[in-house]
Amino acid sequence: MAKPAGKKRNKYGGEALTLVPLYLFTLLFLVGPLVYMVVLSFLTQADTWGVVPEFTLENYAAIGEPVYLETFWESLKLAVITTVLVIGLGYPFGYFMAKLGPKWKRRTMLLLMIPFWTSSLIRLYGWIIIFRAGGVFDTLLTSLHITSESLKLLYTYPAVVVGMVYALLPFMIFAVYSSAEKMDFSLVEAARDLGASPFRAFLTVTLKLTLPGLLSGVVLTFVPSMGLFFIADILGGNKVVLVGNLIQSALMKAHDWPFAAALSVVLMLMTTLLIWLYRKVSGVKDLEGIV
Amino acid sequence: MKKFAAAVLAALLLVSTLAGCSGASGGENGELVLYTWEGMFPQEVLDGFTEETGIAVNYTNFDTDETMLARLEAAKGGDYDLVIADDYIIETAIAAGLVQELDTSKLENYGSINPVYQGQFYDPENKYTVPYGAGVQTIVYNPEAVDVEIQGYADLWDASLEDNLGVIGSFRVINGMALKVLGESYNTEDVATIEAAGDKLLELAPNIRLIKDSNTQDDLLSGEVGAAVLYTSQATQAKMANPDLEVVFPEEGIGFGVMAQFIPANAPNADAAYAFMDYILRPEVSAQCFEYIGYYCTNLDAEEYISEEYRDFLTLPEDIDASSMEMIENVSAEALEAHNRVWTEFQAACE
Repeated sequence: MAKPAGKKRNKYGGEALTLVPLYLFTLLFLVGPLVYMVVLSFLTQADTWGVVPEFTLENYAAIGEPVYLETFWESLKLAVITTVLVIGLGYPFGYFMAKLGPKWKRRTMLLLMIPFWTSSLIRLYGWIIIFRAGGVFDTLLTSLHITSESLKLLYTYPAVVVGMVYALLPFMIFAVYSSAEKMDFSLVEAARDLGASPFRAFLTVTLKLTLPGLLSGVVLTFVPSMGLFFIADILGGNKVVLVGNLIQSALMKAHDWPFAAALSVVLMLMTTLLIWLYRKVSGVKDLEGIV
Repeated sequence: MKKFAAAVLAALLLVSTLAGCSGASGGENGELVLYTWEGMFPQEVLDGFTEETGIAVNYTNFDTDETMLARLEAAKGGDYDLVIADDYIIETAIAAGLVQELDTSKLENYGSINPVYQGQFYDPENKYTVPYGAGVQTIVYNPEAVDVEIQGYADLWDASLEDNLGVIGSFRVINGMALKVLGESYNTEDVATIEAAGDKLLELAPNIRLIKDSNTQDDLLSGEVGAAVLYTSQATQAKMANPDLEVVFPEEGIGFGVMAQFIPANAPNADAAYAFMDYILRPEVSAQCFEYIGYYCTNLDAEEYISEEYRDFLTLPEDIDASSMEMIENVSAEALEAHNRVWTEFQAACE
């Protein structure tokens, strides 16, 4: 997020002036569309296409229907599952990566970065090749005589979870890594010298010191996973309906822009609320790298 | 110095724009501004037209019907000479006064059009449009991978198809299948009927393996599913890749959509548009076009020119007439909302 120049205000305004483009950009491309969306969510859908400027609360009332509320619950469930798995895989990865020598650190970093040179959509199509009937995974299992026929993994819930974890894992790794790298490992040694068990040393020293990284990783994983609808689309065969899928279908298929806008507003409010709750409960004010 | 550079750049820009303009209006007998989706004509047909008439074709394209309508509205029915778009948006365009009436006496081959595709809701008196290709709703299946002989939508509910069916994500088509099984119209606006179809659709959920819009035919070809409800162009691609697949015209009735040509109200060169329409209405040329785009042939005289390998999925069987076919039309916002709700419920039930 953009922060103002700082406490020391420049009398001449020269520095402030350099911020004008940034503020203009934010106003034009962030605040503008947001206001547009909120306004849109209170309008009525026109009978043919587009909207008519008649105020209504119908769009929000419609979200209360069980079938639509269900999608919010689905999104939340998937986001929690994804985040837990990403912590399980990403935390140890980031932690041990920070303990590597400088040469291997650079190499690991490079290996993590390389996939980003390709669009995430294309990387997801790669998973189709792995999961599909008679695909890489199937062939591997049958040639090892573990299974005798196709597992039909593609278009299932686990396939969606794998896709989500795959897409979001790097964000956790980088967040934990940046925390762990700054950590003074001699503190852990001190704890061990003073008689703490490895587990206790980890809990009281390592975890405490890397907590800001872990927490920002959680936010970086959780928030996008509420909105990554195309993974459910591509790997789940559209059978897992998330809020994002619903927004897309309201917009592109039903041409119901106001309803799509109302859904987006509620989704954003929900995410904001969750982050707020999360900071309140965890007591961490400083989310490393993001806020 | 900077000012000078800027001036040079501006001048260059101006020159290139002008060059663009003059380039576009080439052709000894003027120019036809054609506005449609990408890839709607084989290059030979466009070249053949220019060669014969001396009219250059300026092919401009849009992604969605809505974009087309917005551009046409902004141009007040001008700028474009001939537009090809989907039925439902043409209804809106005509209502907005953006379309001019056709003088069919200028079209020598007008009589070739298949009457099944004429007189439809978007142009009930055929005053404004000439059809160019139709999407016809079929079921495609692999007889080796399916235990039932599929003859209609009701067969898709068969328990032996469990987890073996793929469908496209168009809810009017898929909800429509359930409506058809219940003996209703695709275009019912009665919310209770749509909800009843929704309940029927929930019984189909265990058979659904995937719902997707793009390249759905690949899943049929790779064996991921044994049967699929596809878009017409996908069905064509599937059939081309594997001729052993069966294409079924559902016995409950056939839903279809039409792409049609119209001349905008203030088209700069309407004569060129007439010349082009007439050219592509010629049976031989027409057949060439439909084989290329892979949509159903809307030209009755062209059917005999469609080669054997394409015939059973680009033309309707003889025993099918207008009475067993129904267009998918615009419905009220309320009905659309019910469709969307029913559809979301169905999707979630498939998991």
